[in-house]
Amino acid sequence: MSVNEVEHPVWRRPLLEGEDLAEQAEHLKRRHLLLDPKFPWEMNDDALKPMYRTSPSFWVIVVALSGLVMMGAITWFRQIYWGLGITGLNRPIYWGLFLVNTVYFIGIGHAGTFISAALRVLKIEWRRPISRAAETITLFGLTAAGLSILMHLGRVWKFYWLLPYPNQRQLWPNFHSPLMWDFMAILTYLTGSTLFIYLGLLPDLAMARDHTVGWRYRLYSILSLGWRGTEKEWAYHKTALDIFSYVIIPVMFSVHTIVSWDFAMSIQPGWNSTIFGPYFIVGALFSGVAAVIIVMAIIRKSMRLEYFLRHEHFDGMAKFLLILSFTWAYFYFSDYIVPWYNGEPVMKVVFDVLRRGWAAPLWYLMLFCNLLLPVATLWSRRVRSNTAALVMVCIYIQIGMYLERYFIVPVFLGYNELPFSWGTYIPRAGVLLTIASFAMIILLYMLFSRVVPLIPVWEILEGQIFQGLKRIGRALLPARSEPH
Amino acid sequence: MEQPERKWTMIVDIDKCTGCAACVVACHAENNVPIVTEQEVVRGRGQHWIRIERYWSGEYPHVKAHFLPILCQHCENAPCEPVCPAYATVHSPRENLNLQIYNRCIGTRYCGNNCPYKVRFFNYFDPNFVEPQDQQLNPDVTVRSAGVMEKCTFCVQRIRRAEEKALAEGHPLREDEVVPACVQTCPTGALVFGDLYNPESQVAKLLEPNNRKFRLLEHLGTLPSVYYLKGGTSRVSE
Amino acid sequence: MAREFTRRDFLKLGAMGAATAVMAGCQPPRPWITLEPYVRPPEQQLAGVATWFASTCRQCPAGCGILVRIMNGRALKIEGNPDHPLNQGKLCARGQAGLQVLYNPDRLTGPVQQSQRGSRMYEPLAWEAGINTLYEKLAAAGGRVAVWTNSTVSGHLFDLFQRFSAAVGGPSPLVYDLYTGFNGYRLLADVSQELFGRAALPTYSLSHADVILSFGADFLGTGLSAVRYGREFGGFRSQPLGKRGYLVQLEPRMSISAAVADHWVPLRPGTEGLVAGALVQIIAEEELASADRAALAQSLIGGLDVGSIAAASDVPAEELLHLAHAFASASQAVALPGAALTGTDAGAEALAAVQALNLIAGTAGEASGLTLSPPSPSEAVLSPEPAAFSDMQALIEQMRAGQVQVLLVHGANPAYDLPEQVGFLDAVANVPFVASFAPIVDETALWADLILPDRTYLEGWGYALVSPSFDQPAVSGQQPVVTPVFDSRSTADILLTVARGIPAAAQALPWPHEVAFLQETVEQLGPGAAGGSGIDVLWTRFQQEGGWWPASPPEPEAPSLASAPTIQLQSPSFRGGEEEYPYHLYLYPSGLLSDGRGASQPWLQGSPDPMTTVSWQTWVELHPETAEELGVHDGDIVQVTSPEGELEAPVCVYPAIRPDTVAIPLGQGHTDYGRYARDRGRNPMQLVGAQADATGSSLAWSTLRVKIRPTGEKVALALFENKVGVTEGFLNAEFPH
Repeated sequence: MSVNEVEHPVWRRPLLEGEDLAEQAEHLKRRHLLLDPKFPWEMNDDALKPMYRTSPSFWVIVVALSGLVMMGAITWFRQIYWGLGITGLNRPIYWGLFLVNTVYFIGIGHAGTFISAALRVLKIEWRRPISRAAETITLFGLTAAGLSILMHLGRVWKFYWLLPYPNQRQLWPNFHSPLMWDFMAILTYLTGSTLFIYLGLLPDLAMARDHTVGWRYRLYSILSLGWRGTEKEWAYHKTALDIFSYVIIPVMFSVHTIVSWDFAMSIQPGWNSTIFGPYFIVGALFSGVAAVIIVMAIIRKSMRLEYFLRHEHFDGMAKFLLILSFTWAYFYFSDYIVPWYNGEPVMKVVFDVLRRGWAAPLWYLMLFCNLLLPVATLWSRRVRSNTAALVMVCIYIQIGMYLERYFIVPVFLGYNELPFSWGTYIPRAGVLLTIASFAMIILLYMLFSRVVPLIPVWEILEGQIFQGLKRIGRALLPARSEPH
Repeated sequence: MEQPERKWTMIVDIDKCTGCAACVVACHAENNVPIVTEQEVVRGRGQHWIRIERYWSGEYPHVKAHFLPILCQHCENAPCEPVCPAYATVHSPRENLNLQIYNRCIGTRYCGNNCPYKVRFFNYFDPNFVEPQDQQLNPDVTVRSAGVMEKCTFCVQRIRRAEEKALAEGHPLREDEVVPACVQTCPTGALVFGDLYNPESQVAKLLEPNNRKFRLLEHLGTLPSVYYLKGGTSRVSE
Repeated sequence: MAREFTRRDFLKLGAMGAATAVMAGCQPPRPWITLEPYVRPPEQQLAGVATWFASTCRQCPAGCGILVRIMNGRALKIEGNPDHPLNQGKLCARGQAGLQVLYNPDRLTGPVQQSQRGSRMYEPLAWEAGINTLYEKLAAAGGRVAVWTNSTVSGHLFDLFQRFSAAVGGPSPLVYDLYTGFNGYRLLADVSQELFGRAALPTYSLSHADVILSFGADFLGTGLSAVRYGREFGGFRSQPLGKRGYLVQLEPRMSISAAVADHWVPLRPGTEGLVAGALVQIIAEEELASADRAALAQSLIGGLDVGSIAAASDVPAEELLHLAHAFASASQAVALPGAALTGTDAGAEALAAVQALNLIAGTAGEASGLTLSPPSPSEAVLSPEPAAFSDMQALIEQMRAGQVQVLLVHGANPAYDLPEQVGFLDAVANVPFVASFAPIVDETALWADLILPDRTYLEGWGYALVSPSFDQPAVSGQQPVVTPVFDSRSTADILLTVARGIPAAAQALPWPHEVAFLQETVEQLGPGAAGGSGIDVLWTRFQQEGGWWPASPPEPEAPSLASAPTIQLQSPSFRGGEEEYPYHLYLYPSGLLSDGRGASQPWLQGSPDPMTTVSWQTWVELHPETAEELGVHDGDIVQVTSPEGELEAPVCVYPAIRPDTVAIPLGQGHTDYGRYARDRGRNPMQLVGAQADATGSSLAWSTLRVKIRPTGEKVALALFENKVGVTEGFLNAEFPH
């Protein structure tokens, strides 16, 4: 039975006879993971087996990605040695692909936090199997974002001056600067996300420890910190996760708001828009959720996680994506209509360039990817049930969101109040480093998936314990009991 | 809060500027500003601390050209200052200068983005002073490496030398003792420099009152220290 | 050369490794370090304190006084000398760039010889050997020695060359370079001789003028004294009671002088003189302004048809009337002649018409208006007068005929400056021995057998009679401000050495070295503004002040007509028929590279051209309509062909030029002259033939027609401006001027 089976709405279903309850139960079990329990040892197996499954194609991809990462490393070394002149940056476009990548990678990381923390707080149960996979994107996305920030520095070997440490010259970093807030916020977010994912991993690491031998056993023994699964440990664990979930949500909001303030706090036309805070958050969630869908689809196929990742998960995410598309469109519209209305000269020129200048093809592509395509497709159950179609839409969303950041950074920077000093950006070394960043995230993800169980089995078990089927009249309904 | 002792101010008389670029070359010589290659100019990395922007207006044959020398405006409310995370660009309230501290700069280039006048330049490569050109380098001015932002300093090295000399000689700094390289060489006298707080100074006398004066992009509230004097057109009656 | 491994590199490599931020204490490896106590420093050196030396700038013939900042024996900065009467403390871009003439990495490090001319295989040799070779050749040549030098040669060296040539019976040294040739210096002097009885450069004081009509004179860019005229212009725009003067620039292509003008008249190329004549005619006919003026005008001109001149010049008759009124009714009016005017085939008449206007204005000799550059204050002080074009051609003929056995080239670069048709290189092939004194191998030194590099002007001794000098005679002094950077020797000293061995010359050049000669010259000048008596004091003051000028400026000479000029203006005759060659060619010296001598200095190459903002390149300026007709845009390479030659260069669309004219800047197209000059751009002198004006004194370069063909190739224009922003930007922007 495949997830792609279309279910009929209630009024189309045939009348139920006695055995139909069983059929109904089958339907529901098929659709909802949490109503379809397996024995714990079976689930552990399902979660652990993919870690050992490294086919030749896996290694081919790993080698290829490593090659790209190496190329990126060499390019970065060259950039450190020769200077940022090997990029396409110039005056006035002082920020280019590195900043686009930074914002983009932080953006896709937001979905992870949202799914594992916000959905947990909202008690939305279908988040259970996907939370760790999504958080992993956050982890490596933030790593790539941090590296992108380092790459964009002119003198990267002095980056530590941004850390407030006491020194002989009594110099502190400038806390007026949005980049400083950025630095603090991203560090906080990275630390928080790492701890959050680690916390959630503990029971599964202990499970892995108990089921493996050799170097894995040694690794998991260390990492699981002696977790024994006593009631007290579970109680503390739950409390800790609760606190973390509540706390990391404002961190998530603040991080991308602060990233948006890198732009909003400046006086560059096109950047100093007061709506950038919420606009960036929505954009981040938008691209992040789409990224999670893509990753889920890939790991479901390649790691044979069909049991864990079902239609309901894709469906839920896709509906959320649709809402985000509308929300994004609303913020984008707000961001544009205000300067359009007040006719600021530089923005007039920029809008002209976007509507019918050199940037027009890219702009229309962005609008297609971010607004037209999701709105036209994601309302349809057919599309949401078709993994391939859904993944295509999500890829287009990635393109659209990347373009959106590309417009904000190197395109807007090319226009200012003194036309003599306008400029054009043609990316050079930044392209190689962008490709390498993407390769690095994928590579780390692939290696991570073979070292750590990507499916949070204990969470699923927890959910399955609390979920059940309750008969009300002739219907069987999923019901949930609250844990104390 | 330090009390400002003086307010270094520059006046650019657009009516007199001929676009001859003497100031551009003088600044390169005084401040060790590297000349970039043809390829770098094509990439948009021309590096001149003071530049002559040339705008056109009108249609042939009534076309007019307008020269606008632009250098760091040393804004009182500089947008480049709050955004530098390393405090590499700070304000000197004592004399109202915008200072760039090269050895503190880690090259985030945020200041360059935030400057509305686009007078900040980033060193994309190390400078290439081929022997014996390095013998000409001014020892009073740091030679910047790749990764560091730079901009016009109102020849702060000359200001400092003059201040030290005045201190050693035991008299207050006379403003005619300080002249930036561009002002010194300008053949038409379009550039004037001095201390606005000194009512006897040339800049104070020229600005007060003057219906030709304006500042660039005043609506941004940057409070620049560079005043421009509008040009004009003469006509003769029959 | 290998890049030194600095501490910075070490840190960068450290950052790449696992550890970042290698802290202090790590010194890069070095074999040895020299520690030298500064026990006996030179007299004027104080650590950390600069010494200033006065000297003269030699980047153009004017001779501005400069002060050079020296620290630890290094020249750091050049400034104008505030006491110098010509530039009064100011200096132009080329003057500022003089440091890069001194510290040029491609300078010869010592004497070299070339066994095969043009091979670029230079074999170093010792000075003794080099000077000996020169001596032998000179001794054998007798009177068949020719000297070719340029307008910035020091007066004392020119004097020595002259004495030497006279002593051995050779021709007088030829002073010919593109700067003075292009700007018509000789013609200006000749016409002054004819009109006013004295061959001197005309000077025009502008600072008190009401009305200036500039007939194509780029006086603020590369005119006769850009710095002085710049000062004058500053005064012109800031006269008392808010008066700012009225400047009209008449030229087919807007230069920076036209950019700051109140009115730009894009007249047809070659008609500048005609328009000047038309104005005189109108003043005469309409009896404008005072009766005296009208009468003078009538006596100077007659029989010009203003209507046909209006048609020929493409300046409407009403406009001519308006200009004539403005000029005649002004109390202080000045008319300036430009290089394009003197570069026509009838330059003398055109120039006479402009001078007529000045005479009519009646400001000749006053604080504002026409004066003649004062004569030299002493017989001992010489000025290299630019030769007539015909004289230059005569020397080339002599060379070709084999009558010149030794050619000495100093400071001049005729292989680059002259159009090919002049035949310099062919002629040089028939000269058995060519010696060059160029400090850096240029296109002419390429064809020399022996190069004995002279010192550049910041390392050398000399003087320059300021030329033109506006209100007083001035002799600008030149002294070494640094010890020579490379192993070069003063040409004057070499000449004195060699002369000792040639009996005829030994008597004429008895001085042991050039400084002795210079001191004698200064002694003959006597005390000036600096006062003093006795050779030691006079010599010291000469060096300290940066030259000699009189204690009190003499009364300005009022040039008066020595002979009634016959101003017979004709329509210019262009080379190249209109059908085959539809466009006029307008050449102009680049404000930074001037006639090409600035191409070796990266500060000048890398600074944006004031009007186009292009650097490092040659470009062809086309009006937007012309570009559209030809279907070309910025950067498209076009082939420009004149009846005399052709070149290929990228287009730069330029809004302030006549649609029927194309403009190309001089200065690029070097094949030698250092890494910054070599192999970039094109030399537009390739398009000019070997035609002189009617009097034979000036190269006629401004009456050529060309055709243009797109080649289909493209190159990126090295623009500093964002052209889209400037031309389209804010379309309805209000401009605060």
